[in-house]
Amino acid sequence: MFSIPGSPGLTRTTSDKAVIPFYAYAALAFLAATLLLFFSATDFTTHYFHPHLLAITHIMVLGWGTMIVLGASHQLVPVLIESTLFSEPLASASFVFAAAGIPLLSYGFYVFNMGWPARWGGALMIMAILAYCINLGMSIIKSKEENVHAIFVFTATVWLLCTASVGLVLVYNFSYPLLSGNSADYLSLHAHMGIVGWFLLMIIGTGSRLIPMFLLSKYNNPRLLWWIFGLINGGLFAFVLVYLYSQNPWRWTLAVLPVIAAISLFGKYCFSSYQQRIRKKVDEQMKISLLSVMVMLLPLLLLAGIMVVLAITPGEPVRLITTYGFLVIFGWITSIILGMTFKTLPFIVWNKVYHQKAGQGKVPNPKELFSAGIFNWMSMLYLIGCLVFTLGILTRYLAVLQTGALMLLFAAVLYNWNVLKLLTHKPVV
Amino acid sequence: MNPITNNNLKCNKALEALVNVMDPEIGLNVVDLGLIYQLDFDDSDLKLFCSMTLTTQFCPMGESITNAVKEALQHAFPEYNVEITLVFAPAWNHEMISPKGMTFLNEE
Repeated sequence: MFSIPGSPGLTRTTSDKAVIPFYAYAALAFLAATLLLFFSATDFTTHYFHPHLLAITHIMVLGWGTMIVLGASHQLVPVLIESTLFSEPLASASFVFAAAGIPLLSYGFYVFNMGWPARWGGALMIMAILAYCINLGMSIIKSKEENVHAIFVFTATVWLLCTASVGLVLVYNFSYPLLSGNSADYLSLHAHMGIVGWFLLMIIGTGSRLIPMFLLSKYNNPRLLWWIFGLINGGLFAFVLVYLYSQNPWRWTLAVLPVIAAISLFGKYCFSSYQQRIRKKVDEQMKISLLSVMVMLLPLLLLAGIMVVLAITPGEPVRLITTYGFLVIFGWITSIILGMTFKTLPFIVWNKVYHQKAGQGKVPNPKELFSAGIFNWMSMLYLIGCLVFTLGILTRYLAVLQTGALMLLFAAVLYNWNVLKLLTHKPVV
Repeated sequence: MNPITNNNLKCNKALEALVNVMDPEIGLNVVDLGLIYQLDFDDSDLKLFCSMTLTTQFCPMGESITNAVKEALQHAFPEYNVEITLVFAPAWNHEMISPKGMTFLNEE
């Protein structure tokens, strides 16, 4: 038998000290972004290339989405690749660089000063991603088996590095003409490399391992995952080429159709996992995560609509584009994070507090470390807030936008409340 | 799946103790989950060897679960020195769950 003797002393999981700061930072970033959303609601009645919208977007995608993905993946990568994390100090370095870079970058956007705050912010973010990339790459090299999930995660990180590098070039391009066009012309390229290359690949790479694992499902289909991987990367490369060399809106279908196909196949993968699950009861956190897989298709359908409008009319459908961006960030990415936070963080905290006390008496279940009632209220406020704010963008009614933003702000407060409750949990035995 | 043992009587006592050790994510005990592979009692040296697995290798809860198994066995057999060995071959699969465990998991 392949054995690991002396296992009670095994220390192969990533330390909570390397992971928890990412979660805490992300929670505060979500609160800050929703606060800014409320006070900047009026800016959503104008063009999407607005300093306040750029600041909110970067707080959400970097401070909220990326920070929590980085934190969770430091804990989950060993599960995915079946090996230990290469270096915890590198994980901490990644946190420090990102934690310092994100406020600088966001401040630069908010006041629209593309000088030193935005430049240093962008550079620090690249250093954070490089640290993560090295850590991940070295961890994967140590792992002996070929693993489709690890390839997804590593490729996602390479796309994140490309996204951030393009972003930094765009920041400098405001002052020095590095590119042939204005920085705003490359916004869509930068955004989609991040949304599809980073978030979509990362979420599918980890979700395809975690969803069957949490559902205790018998389903496993690496071949389908390789197809999804090929379709997403193919679509993204097609998008970059069409963006740089063609700009014919109809040719964008070459990029969008493979990604829609990939998401549909991932939907099928999740549905098969759900059908073949051994554990019949599905908890609220898993339900919201599974719902977010379906939500993935909403912005893509909207994108297809935007492409049709762009192809047949001369003007830019500003409201549709803003709605698309909002649904991607506040809809799809946020719904996944809201669900997965309370699927992963309670276990990290439980492990920290009780791993030496297990078996010494009645210890609470990880799910009892946060309030299910607050979670349900948060989910409801979030879902309704998202819908109301989307309506506000489409109708440009300030009162509707403010109502939606206020609900999202309350959802963020409840999220922080539960995260704080988790992080301050004291042992009961 | 019943664990391999060299002492059925003591093995039953050990399993009774281990049904109180839960996998915190699944909410099912390690015995009905089929994580315990082997329980051997060395009466001359007073050693209890337990071979067990986890539902997934590099499980973040692995250390807590193995600690709890050791603690429960030590409590049930205070005169023995308990040694836990974590094994991943054969890998755990759903067929190792006991009928009682399956009934628990099938509850809506």
